[in-house]
Amino acid sequence: MTYTVALAQVNPACGDLEYNVKMHIDQTERALEAGAGLIVFPELSLTGYTLKDQTLDVMRPADCPEFAGLRELSRHIAICAGFVEEGEDGIPYNSAFFMDAGEVRHVHRKMYLPTHGMFEELKFLGRGRELSVFDTRFGRTGIVICRDLFHPLEVSTMAALGVELLLAPSAMPARGFGGEELGIEQTVGLALGSASTFLGMFVVYVNRVGFDDGLGFYGGSALSDPIGGITVSAPRFEAVQLLGTVDTSHIARHRYQLPIRREEDLEIIRHALETRRNS
Amino acid sequence: MTVDTLALNNAFVEDYLKRFVQEELHTSGFTEACIALSGGLDSALVLKLAVDALGADHVHAIFLPYKISSAESKRDVRTMFEFCGIPWQELDISGMADAYLALQPGIDRLRTGNLLARLRMAVIFDQSKKENALVVGTSNKSELLVGYSTWYGDMACAIMPIGDLYKTQVRSLARHIGLPQQVIAKPPSADLWAGQTDEGEIGVSYETLDQVLYLLVDQRCSSAEVISEGFDLDLVQRVERKILTSQFKRVPPPIAKLSQRTVGTDFLYPRDWRK
Repeated sequence: MTYTVALAQVNPACGDLEYNVKMHIDQTERALEAGAGLIVFPELSLTGYTLKDQTLDVMRPADCPEFAGLRELSRHIAICAGFVEEGEDGIPYNSAFFMDAGEVRHVHRKMYLPTHGMFEELKFLGRGRELSVFDTRFGRTGIVICRDLFHPLEVSTMAALGVELLLAPSAMPARGFGGEELGIEQTVGLALGSASTFLGMFVVYVNRVGFDDGLGFYGGSALSDPIGGITVSAPRFEAVQLLGTVDTSHIARHRYQLPIRREEDLEIIRHALETRRNS
Repeated sequence: MTVDTLALNNAFVEDYLKRFVQEELHTSGFTEACIALSGGLDSALVLKLAVDALGADHVHAIFLPYKISSAESKRDVRTMFEFCGIPWQELDISGMADAYLALQPGIDRLRTGNLLARLRMAVIFDQSKKENALVVGTSNKSELLVGYSTWYGDMACAIMPIGDLYKTQVRSLARHIGLPQQVIAKPPSADLWAGQTDEGEIGVSYETLDQVLYLLVDQRCSSAEVISEGFDLDLVQRVERKILTSQFKRVPPPIAKLSQRTVGTDFLYPRDWRK
């Protein structure tokens, strides 16, 4: 199967749900016209990132009326976008939904919320506790939000559970201006390369652009292909929408050539953890 | 550790800072910037970045000399106005400064320097209101960290484009952008009294200071580790003391907390807050 994915490298307005919903609809219509089957937006794309106490004002359940237009559009194109989810427990989560066929098919709550240095996510947001693995018409799909991507154990486990398409919405601020590429780009490149090369997954990494209170998000969204490497690479700092092609035959071919997944044995991990717990 | 450790990809930094100026202004609903030019490198660089980001028609730069400001300052400001293609604007603050100074016999030069910096602040903020502009600050990371700046004086501004660049990085970026050589090469000075230089006052060259700051701040090294890199014990201790004693300048004043939600403590919104 071959399909087109749109990487929406956008600049959300912090705290302005109405503006952001409209921007998502415009972007999604554009992707649809271009023939995409799936569009992926950055982390917290519907709300903005540096919300602080605005978190309470913008949190919504995934099936809220404000997102009705997007749900309607998802009859024609699958949509992955970031928002502050109002959980059934009343807790705000840093989440991303996957909408398809007119309904919310899955919601992933970010599991690893950075709270150090410039990051203060756990101060305002609850922590997700479930790996995100679900079946879609694109194959078994997983979502990791920003920092989640840097946890190899999480990504490896998702691969072992059969994930072939990893969606990675992000809000990564630029830092490390000393080299030919940004320091953070090198770090992301390692994560993408590792997921595609060792685990045989397609990764759709979509990072936002723009500034929130001095934090500059660098963009650099990418499509990482197990055989082709980085096949789509968005520019730094520019708001753009790019299209990439996913050929799912690459997954089986790559995994046959380098059968890491076939070799994987989570029982070894389970045994090690249990031994340690019992010692 | 050498000064080259501080080298940046100037093409990235230039692009990033222009976008920062543009977006931070526009998000706040402004198209115009006000900048006080001193004749020094920091304000020259910020002026050029702002002109490139916003267009010359949207940048209101002004030279605010006092009667003892050096002739070189005026010459270099004029060079920068011409370099950036913006009209000459000058407002001499001698009259307003002297009116107060006459009431303060025996005032020392530090107080005088602070007064001049704060009068310039008052003028540039008034000009920004007139032009419906935001004040773009010109402080760099070296001076912010050692506190070599006047609280609510030259530190007062709406945004600080080069506040995370050490002075040596400012020089390097200025060379990359191609600012006039005479502005890049001159010894840094607050020009608050005749013959004053930053390096004379701080007691060390910026090249050395920036390396020590980089190790202490960016690399979180202990003073013993910095000394083991070949830096002088007395210097490292002096720099540490300057960082500590100027901390108050880098934070908003503490508010006595009484209520459930206190400004700055648990009333937390981004600067770019919009409902």
